[in-house]
Amino acid sequence: MSTLSIIIFSPIIAALFLFFTRPNIAIVKIVYMVVTLSVLYLAVGLYIDFDPAKSMQFIEYHPWISEYGINYHVGVDGVSLGIVMMNAIIMPLVTLALHKLRDKNGYWINLLFVQGGIMGAVLSLDLMLFYLFWELMLLPIFFMLGLFGYGKKNYVAMKFNMYTIFGSLMMLIAILYIAVQYKEQFGTYSFDLNELKYLTLSSSESLLVFSGFMLAFAIKIPIFPFHTWLSDTYRSAPTGIVIVMSALMAKLGVYAIWRFLFTLFNETSHAVAPYFIGIGLFGLIYFGFSAMTQTHIKRMFAFSSASHLSLIVVGFFIYDVYGLIGSSYLIVAHALSSAALFLMVGIMFERTRAYRIDDLGGIARVAPKFALLFVFFSLSIVGVPLTAGFVAEVLIILGAFKYNIYIGLLTTTTILIAMLFMFKTISKVLYGELSESTKDFKDLRLHELVALVPLALLILVMGIFPNYFIKKIEPTAESYSQKIGVIYND
Amino acid sequence: MTNEFIALAVPALLLFSAIFILLFGLSSYYTKARGYYITLATLLVTLLISVNALSEKHSIDLLPELFNSMVVYDTFSTTFISLFLFGGFLTLAIAKSFIFNTKYFTFESFVLFLFSLFGMVMLSMSNELLTAFIALEIASMSVYILVGLNRNSLKASEAFFKYLLLGSFAASFYLLGMMLIYAQAKSTNLDVIAEYMLRTDLNSQLLIISGGLLIMITILFKIAAVPFGAWVIDVYEGASLPITAYMAGIFKIAVFAFALRLFLGSYISLSDLYAPLILGASVVTMFGGSVLAVIQTSVKKMLAASSVVHSGYILIAFAAAGSGTVSSASAILFYLFAYFISAIGAFGVLSYISRGSEKVINFDDLNGLATTNPIIAASLTVFLLSLAGFPSTIGFIGKFYIFTSAIESGYTPFAIFGAVTAFISIYYYFKIIVHMYFKDKVHEKIDYGHKLSFAFIIICSVIVLWGGVGTSLLFDIPGINELNKLSKYAIESLYLK
Repeated sequence: MSTLSIIIFSPIIAALFLFFTRPNIAIVKIVYMVVTLSVLYLAVGLYIDFDPAKSMQFIEYHPWISEYGINYHVGVDGVSLGIVMMNAIIMPLVTLALHKLRDKNGYWINLLFVQGGIMGAVLSLDLMLFYLFWELMLLPIFFMLGLFGYGKKNYVAMKFNMYTIFGSLMMLIAILYIAVQYKEQFGTYSFDLNELKYLTLSSSESLLVFSGFMLAFAIKIPIFPFHTWLSDTYRSAPTGIVIVMSALMAKLGVYAIWRFLFTLFNETSHAVAPYFIGIGLFGLIYFGFSAMTQTHIKRMFAFSSASHLSLIVVGFFIYDVYGLIGSSYLIVAHALSSAALFLMVGIMFERTRAYRIDDLGGIARVAPKFALLFVFFSLSIVGVPLTAGFVAEVLIILGAFKYNIYIGLLTTTTILIAMLFMFKTISKVLYGELSESTKDFKDLRLHELVALVPLALLILVMGIFPNYFIKKIEPTAESYSQKIGVIYND
Repeated sequence: MTNEFIALAVPALLLFSAIFILLFGLSSYYTKARGYYITLATLLVTLLISVNALSEKHSIDLLPELFNSMVVYDTFSTTFISLFLFGGFLTLAIAKSFIFNTKYFTFESFVLFLFSLFGMVMLSMSNELLTAFIALEIASMSVYILVGLNRNSLKASEAFFKYLLLGSFAASFYLLGMMLIYAQAKSTNLDVIAEYMLRTDLNSQLLIISGGLLIMITILFKIAAVPFGAWVIDVYEGASLPITAYMAGIFKIAVFAFALRLFLGSYISLSDLYAPLILGASVVTMFGGSVLAVIQTSVKKMLAASSVVHSGYILIAFAAAGSGTVSSASAILFYLFAYFISAIGAFGVLSYISRGSEKVINFDDLNGLATTNPIIAASLTVFLLSLAGFPSTIGFIGKFYIFTSAIESGYTPFAIFGAVTAFISIYYYFKIIVHMYFKDKVHEKIDYGHKLSFAFIIICSVIVLWGGVGTSLLFDIPGINELNKLSKYAIESLYLK
């Protein structure tokens, strides 16, 4: 077993073990911590060993369902490396911040499970394997929504489930379709990304199959107009799941567009790119304005998150090496800041029992550390210079200007919207009069600081020394932009 | 052990054991436990014999002299026989709590159970329309009575009469069809009919074509395809839970076994003619079944209705099999296995928690099962996920094969329709999960007893999971590849003449 398999399966095996042995909650938390920290350790090792000069590395390959050419095929390249890293970093920090609040075994078991699922989906290079993990990570989310959610949780869990599974099933048919086409052209079935890319499809076929995939990804991200599950789910979901959904799962949707659609249907993706840039920009504005009008702080962040995801989508569909690097960078940067912000919202809720922005206020006066970090993360999420978000956004905007000057201008101005609602929230929540619920607000405790400060530091490091990180993404991005060059020259 | 011995040993053992219990049941030494274990032992022994024969691929001409080639013993039939015996064994093993808690499960029930298995075994071996009919009737008659076992229940009696009347009515179509075929081909032997059909021009085969259609009606009735499956909800509801599992899981497979032999063996030259009909039936079956399943309030009825949907999936692959790809026929076999193991598990859990009572299990009765009995709830979840076709379960691999073969045969729209149906099925299967996990418990922890039932429920769920992810890479346990190869061998043996 190589490192990648251990990274994928150790959380899953630990989760199964904990489910069947049902130890008491202290042991569950210790196991969770040990497993996620060892995954982090392995991931850091992976990051250091990762050779920037090559693109796909640490490949592991075993035959699985040989008759149909389905194999266990995993590997990592510059773009997926970032997601693996942020997943590995965020998961242990979640426990650090929340371990005092959550005393149910199921909470931690499901989080472990979801970590394995996300790792598996990011690292898969086989469509069937990817589908397996893609669906598998749904289950823990579904269970956590239903078990630990708030409000109309059963309804919300079901709605979320139905939405995403509908997308997945359409993707499944698309996957099967291309596998059958591959068989007709090459004589054997294959679900391997490396082999399927040689497939030639007619443009109408390719568009249909593209749509099948895109539907699944669009729902997961979500991009406009597939976002209707978003606000309900984020409002009902427990903090752990909100972090997973906004920081990790949604990013996986964007990543999958790049990894699978751009590889398999390069020409179609290129042909439809303008539409998706349009949808992305529209989503950016629409979600931004929606965020502004929210009175519920979790929903506000949900929409702000969706708005940034639309930006990542735009960055990918710009089809440019800057856009790609920027988007990959933004995936990680936004994951770090949004995970931190949702954690802080969770902490805030635990202390105030209030989610309505109007019920909050004046926290800065009683809890300076909290306020400082809250401001920092809010600024990093809108991409203020010296933070990771800034680097990413600059790169995306550069790409956008290269693509088209108007698109570039539009992207730049839309980012202002994010600033607007962030500042509005900061001023409402942190400053102003102390309200009934915030007057006894306790400042951050040590374990919460230990969870949040590394995230802040990482965001700063990524903002000040972007070269070290971009170096790892660049070769992947360039090898990929050469492929684009071929199309441009045609 | 020679193959001739194996071929005869299985049905003979089943029959002898049935007769033995029939006589033994009258003596004073008989107790329910003894009858139960004798039946279980018979099934285990026959299962071992028949699985042993699976190791090699053998053809149709193993028993050329016996019974004037009315029965054949090939890998195809061995595979199915193993399935029936395994299914029968699991049904009984899981239903132990149910059987021991009910008064009406007498020694005759074991006899009937064995008789019905005998009928199915013969059905999968028969190479002759008449033999098949007799075998089918032996199986059906036993199942009819098993449905009505509980004489004190009005529902069971109603189900029994309904099933008996409609079943016999449907069987008459078969007789008529057989007659028409005989009138033209001058034989009821499948090989002879196939030969005749190859020799003769399609236009002059009217009698055979219409005969085939009539037989198809009987088959569609037995697998509860819409619109011939109007009986299914009432009968499945009226029968006691293990019997419902048995009918939905195993009896249906037996009918498919015969249907596969008939259509792939003999009628393959007419497949283009029948394909639109089968596809039409599959669409209405999937649609009708989904509608039925969504509106049910009792879990048992919901599972019964959803079994109709599964027949619909199989029918897609059935139509695809006609276009000559071995993969779609073996997809059916794999799917049948996947379905039966999940269905028996799901019904088994229900029968385990109902403990032989006649109480209708509604969704609300499952509330909070996850907190009172986490392992049982987890197993039921596994079975439901498999029925819903969720990845990493055997049900997913089954659907994967079915949809792939449909797309391969150019039936992509039907595959998409199947996917939409699967999407609807997510709703009703996950509804149970919601009730088990997310709602507050209705009663305190119950000790259900019967370790054997419990153990086999867990074994089933392990098989379901292993069938979804298993490879022989790990510990050398046969996994998906082997199952897949086996179903392929089974289908190929049909063509080995």
